[in-house]
Amino acid sequence: MSTPSRLRLMRDFKQLQKDPPAGIAAVPSDDNILIWHAFILGPSDTPFEDGTFRLLLEFTESYPNKPPSVRFTSKMFHPNVYADGGICLDILQNRWSPTYDVSAILTSIQSLLDEPNVSSPANSEAATLYQTNRREYEKRVKMTVEQSWNAEPTLASNLRAS
Amino acid sequence: MSENSQTSAQSTNANNNSNPTSDTVSSSVPFTLKRWNLVGIWSWDVAHDVCAICRTALSESCLRCQAASNLQECIIVWGTCNHSFHNCCMSQWVKQRAQCPLCQTDWVINRIGQ
Ligand SMILES: [Zn+2]
Ligand SMILES: [Zn+2]
Ligand SMILES: [Zn+2]
Repeated sequence: MSTPSRLRLMRDFKQLQKDPPAGIAAVPSDDNILIWHAFILGPSDTPFEDGTFRLLLEFTESYPNKPPSVRFTSKMFHPNVYADGGICLDILQNRWSPTYDVSAILTSIQSLLDEPNVSSPANSEAATLYQTNRREYEKRVKMTVEQSWNAEPTLASNLRAS
Repeated sequence: MSENSQTSAQSTNANNNSNPTSDTVSSSVPFTLKRWNLVGIWSWDVAHDVCAICRTALSESCLRCQAASNLQECIIVWGTCNHSFHNCCMSQWVKQRAQCPLCQTDWVINRIGQ
């Protein structure tokens, strides 16, 4: 059944295929276009470099008037990511705009990785280390980068090769 | 997008005017002005062509009307900020927040029509 939300998500998918942002991949589930699986490659020259982080996006029939719920399903160590993978990012909450699409959402999350907002921490340990012991913070982040490769060995090498 | 191209066209123009003028430079200025007009009009049309909410051309029905096979007129709404959307798309969004989704200013309808 086609609804405005599902038609919009089909446009988002076409847009992603036509103009894929660097280091981002996303596909809707075969049987439900409201559920998307995505990967973000950690930006280079950051502690997240070469990490292949997996996310789950869940849309409702209110999209794009309401944002999807987005969470990391890879283990993350980041000041704005909760233990369950949930993301604290203004554009996914009170600063949402119906002009955003899947590509814009994932690009914003990718830039959040190296630009954490420590004033609203979702992981207080990560926020404290980020501010007081950057070397330990980066060590913890690099551990999650290595864990992300073990979870997705083929995808990780494909993304890094591209 | 339109603002960028206009700004760059204007600055090119200004550079030409501020160049030390020889006969050849000043005679080329009218050409620059004509080109600036054309580029300005073209980019204005492109920027306002698509409804930024449903990503469908404003000349076509919105996705809501398409999904419902509603063949009646799907009209366009302009805000006082000059941004335009399908009226169907905008009336859904203002239930969430009465702001223009593109410039975040308070949404005030300027006109509704074709
Ligand atoms: Zn629309
Ligand atoms: Zn409509
Ligand atoms: Zn506006």
